Amino acid sequence: MLRTEGLGYWYQDKEQPLFQDINLEFEEGQSYAILGHSGTGKTTFLSLIAGLDKPREGDIFLNDRSLKQIGLTNYRRHDVAIVFQAYNLFNYMSPLNNLLTAMAITDASHAGDRGYAQRVLNDLGIGDDLITRNVQRLSGGQQQRVAIARTMCCDAKLVVADEPTGNLDEDNTKEVIDQFQRIAHEQQKCVIIVTHEPDVAARCDHQYRLENKQFVRLA
Amino acid sequence: MNFFKRAWLNVWAKKGRSVLLILVSSAILMFVLAGLLIRSAAVKATETAKTDAGATMTLSANRQAAFKKMQSSSSSSSSKSSRPKLTLTPVKLSDAKSIAKLSNIKNYNVTSSTTANAKSYDTVSTSTGMGGNSSGGPGGMKSTSSSSGDTQIDGVTSTALTTDFTDSQSKITKGRGIKASDKGTNNVVIEKELASQNNLTVGDTMTIKETTGSKSTLKVKVVGIYKASSTSSASAGPMSTDPANTIYASYTLANTIKGSKYAGTADSVTFNVTNPAKASATKKAGNKLISSKYSLSTDDSSYQSIKASMNNVEGFANKIVWLVAIAGTIILALIVILMIRERRFEIGVLLSLGEARWKIVAQFFTEMLMVIVIALAIAGVGGKFVGNQLGSQLVSQSTTTQTTSSGTSSQPGGGGQPGGSGGSGMRGGAGGPGSTTSSAKTKNPDLEIAVSAVDLAELGGFGLAITFLSIMIASGGILRLEPKKILIS
Repeated sequence: MLRTEGLGYWYQDKEQPLFQDINLEFEEGQSYAILGHSGTGKTTFLSLIAGLDKPREGDIFLNDRSLKQIGLTNYRRHDVAIVFQAYNLFNYMSPLNNLLTAMAITDASHAGDRGYAQRVLNDLGIGDDLITRNVQRLSGGQQQRVAIARTMCCDAKLVVADEPTGNLDEDNTKEVIDQFQRIAHEQQKCVIIVTHEPDVAARCDHQYRLENKQFVRLA
Repeated sequence: MNFFKRAWLNVWAKKGRSVLLILVSSAILMFVLAGLLIRSAAVKATETAKTDAGATMTLSANRQAAFKKMQSSSSSSSSKSSRPKLTLTPVKLSDAKSIAKLSNIKNYNVTSSTTANAKSYDTVSTSTGMGGNSSGGPGGMKSTSSSSGDTQIDGVTSTALTTDFTDSQSKITKGRGIKASDKGTNNVVIEKELASQNNLTVGDTMTIKETTGSKSTLKVKVVGIYKASSTSSASAGPMSTDPANTIYASYTLANTIKGSKYAGTADSVTFNVTNPAKASATKKAGNKLISSKYSLSTDDSSYQSIKASMNNVEGFANKIVWLVAIAGTIILALIVILMIRERRFEIGVLLSLGEARWKIVAQFFTEMLMVIVIALAIAGVGGKFVGNQLGSQLVSQSTTTQTTSSGTSSQPGGGGQPGGSGGSGMRGGAGGPGSTTSSAKTKNPDLEIAVSAVDLAELGGFGLAITFLSIMIASGGILRLEPKKILIS
């Protein structure tokens, strides 16, 4: 589904790249974990495959179409859904409106369907009493579940998550990873999670470690 | 059009911020509206001034031509014993009538003044210690007869058209004033002091005695009593009779007293001009109808004074509108820039979802538009109040400035008010030290501040432009924002 070819990135000095000549393939219905220490470039890699930045060299292909061809805005709108460590929900909206807004922007097939959004939230443990409450009044775990629900409501086949459990306790972490596994296996989406927690990575189908400017497959 | 919904949700959810924005926008728009209202009121006031302030055109003897004639006759004359006389030709009413037919003439007032002696009554006497009732004030013309009376007879077409009455310096307190229909009658209007001193009231008759010719007596009928605001003889000059001894009558009666050769003539004729802006064109047309013995002078100083004053107000209002609009745009732009900085994560999320940048800008614009619509309503109510306060302040300042400047400029000489009575001399000489300045009769109109649909539409346009510009200035930041930099740090 998603393929990188000769991907490389550096900030100022080409001689000191974060990573270089990365050739990876990510498939639908699978979950991937990218491990690495802080500053190794795993989040930068995620920003490239999420269409938030352009690679310095190489290319990324979605179903054999270059992201350059697709266009980054178009790609972000229709093909990729992102979950952030800080949730990044619309803080002036309720969980329900967060989902409806995302569905409207991404032209999702269920756009405008309140019932569908409500069901997705309920499935993720956000009850009817919470769905119309302002998201700022929800706990961190609840907010992250709303963020995950947002990715589920959109039609994007690729879900990327940057340290999605970074702010969560053990129980919530387990619950969130379960949800990502469901997205990958039940919704047949490709889930790529960037994390520094080996326990989280261990729950994914595939694990890569970014070290010495290269991705090393762990399992 | 999801951004409409987002805008609404944001405005509704962040009520405190929205209220603050509404207050700031209301204040800006209120001052813009005040400026707009003052400007339109000033324009309206200038238009009104054309009819209300008016302008006058006076037909009188050409003093300059008469003086030249006197000089040439004195140089050609061999006899050095006789002093040359300045002879002014009385205005022919037929000439006045032909001028009155000009399109810009509203009406006219014939003035013919003379003096008579009291017969059946006593005149009001004021002791000033400066001598008796000698003839001719400093601005008056030399009389054709050396004798003068103790009663000033001001013959007019209508008292309502004389400056004393139009400026409310004199007011009818009983009966009525002299009207055009009093032509050929012996009806008179006397001053209140004269009336009370002689127990005269409306309907009574009094007898006056001519000062020239056969010196015959004449019975006149009191049809009205007026009160002059100033009856001190000092105000009319040291040489004149007490103003309370001034009797208003039809010009025909004044002419009768002056003598038969004055029939169908006048000292001067004052024409009220319909459109003061065209006063000089009317004067030009009028000059073509008269001979060089007469001269036409225009007095549109009232109109010019009001016009200048209103132009000042209008100019200042314009400056208010633009200064407030520019300052408002800058203030709103700064607020929006701060708002955008505060909401950069939201923008990042929107960009990460693939939202178009223009739609993000449109969301901010819609939010501000909602704020502006409410602010417009508030400004619509408050703007009238601010406009009234500001407008009256401006008018009073402007009036002070205008009166000061016009009072200073018109002091030496002026437009021919009587300096005193002088037998059968003609009213309104070339203006001596006794002439009053035109600024004295200038009355600036109050600004009528009213909010019209046009004003609100114009304010809406300004509001929209301010919002649009402030969002455009601030959106430079939105367009430069990179989602990666915002979301992944």
